[in-house]
Amino acid sequence: MKNKDQNNIKLSRSTKKRKIILETKCLHKHFDGTKAVNGVSLAIEEGSIVSLIGPNGAGKTTLFNVVTGFLSADAGKVVFDGIHMISKMAPYNIARLGIGRTFQDLRLIRRLTAMENVCLALPNQKGDKVIGALFGRRNREEKRRRAEAMNWLGYIGIGEEANTLAEELSYGQQKLLTVACCLALGSRLLLLDEPVAGVNPALAEKILELLLRLRNEEAKTILVVEHNMDAVMKVSDRVVAMDEGQIIADGKPKQILESAAVIEAYLE
Amino acid sequence: MDYLLHLLILTFIFSILTVSLNLLVGHTGLFTIAHAAFFGLGAYSSAIVGTKSNAPFYIGFVLGIVLSIVFSYIISLATLRLHEDYFAIATFGFQMILFAVFQNWIAMTNGPIGIAGVPKPNIMGWVVQSHFESLVFIGVCTIACWIFINRLAVSAFGQVLRAIREDEIYTQALGKNCFRYKSSASAISGAMASLAGSLYAHHMTYINPARFSVTDSILILSMVIIGGAGSRLGPIVGAIILVTLPEALRFLGLPSNVAANLRQILYGSALIVCIIWRPQGLIGKFSFRKDENS
Repeated sequence: MKNKDQNNIKLSRSTKKRKIILETKCLHKHFDGTKAVNGVSLAIEEGSIVSLIGPNGAGKTTLFNVVTGFLSADAGKVVFDGIHMISKMAPYNIARLGIGRTFQDLRLIRRLTAMENVCLALPNQKGDKVIGALFGRRNREEKRRRAEAMNWLGYIGIGEEANTLAEELSYGQQKLLTVACCLALGSRLLLLDEPVAGVNPALAEKILELLLRLRNEEAKTILVVEHNMDAVMKVSDRVVAMDEGQIIADGKPKQILESAAVIEAYLE
Repeated sequence: MDYLLHLLILTFIFSILTVSLNLLVGHTGLFTIAHAAFFGLGAYSSAIVGTKSNAPFYIGFVLGIVLSIVFSYIISLATLRLHEDYFAIATFGFQMILFAVFQNWIAMTNGPIGIAGVPKPNIMGWVVQSHFESLVFIGVCTIACWIFINRLAVSAFGQVLRAIREDEIYTQALGKNCFRYKSSASAISGAMASLAGSLYAHHMTYINPARFSVTDSILILSMVIIGGAGSRLGPIVGAIILVTLPEALRFLGLPSNVAANLRQILYGSALIVCIIWRPQGLIGKFSFRKDENS
């Protein structure tokens, strides 16, 4: 018999208080009677890596979609950096606020090169408005874009593939490219949906090292959906376990592994 | 010689139509079956201003462009929030409405009889009289339109349009207001089609609704697809082929009604053959076939 609390079950929390960058308050999302997200209240501290685990259908990706505006919540609030977002903000506006995301089904613009994909993500481009495109100084703008894009590609470790079409990159490189696009967008909070799923161990290691570097060097906050428990254990400051749309456990990685509720719902 | 010049002029006018439609269909991936309606809007604006007032010729041009931008935006509001298939259906509806207006608003458009006596353009005293002068004037306009569209296409703006074509959801996640880009592309495309219509009206000096029907919208779309959607020169190649080759039927000595029907058969056949054997068009890169793009 499952023993789920209605509120978050916090096994332990760090006593050091950091600024809360993302908070959801009693978030609900239903699909034809199925409670995909059922009263989720979650607070993510700035500069931390939080992993979201749970069986398929637990509501993890739905939570991502609600936070990023691709689905509208039926009830509850989402607050990002003090801004109440849930009131009908379009996904592109949420992205501009500073929330970048990757998708479970690895979305990219496949017929653009790696460089062009990152250039696309750059904000505040003069050339992406009609007047700027027609009358702007294209060469100077183009040089600036490419330099910035190369910077991010180099940072994530695929600089040598800048002129390779995205569809010709390996699966792991494509995953790295989606992270580069989030960084180029200027995201402060990265929502990464299964970043190491389907990737060979060497590249998975590279991706995990990148996440740690992003936290340590760039002060990024990262919320990761992942099924790979080794990866979760390696990078997470905190783990939140979900099942049937609710949070069933929330705490340090080791403690989550030992949680009876988590073991019953997910790890067995 | 005049006949050849006239053919060349028509090719230029249809090139403006195809290049402008390419921005929407080729670069943004939005199928529209209303391009002839905007073509007609420009033609009728110029024809009405030219025959019912003493206003300079460019007033008709500007009126047509403004009306096209307004209607394009209205359609965008109503339809761009729909799935792309429904957008095409909605533009079809707009095409039918505008054709009905051209056909039935007799007080303004003369209905099926059409408007004759559209004056030639008078550009600061230079009256574009001869076919050769029309060719120069319309040729310059065509080149200007091609440069305009290509400048957009190679810019960051054009890159966003192509990203929308491939994956609109992901493009939104990159902070792009996809609706704004699509409505801008729609407005530019419609405005340029209107410009082509104004040039057509002043060149032909006579217009009637028959030239602005859904059949013509499909013809223009065919030119883009056959030439190569999303490419720089593909739409122009398509215009050249579908404007000039059917004219060869004249030399077969067929009765006009047979030649007209044969022309339609040729257009349809060319489109089907192209979609099956060369979906990216003669010189295009982007294919509308899903498995070639995934």
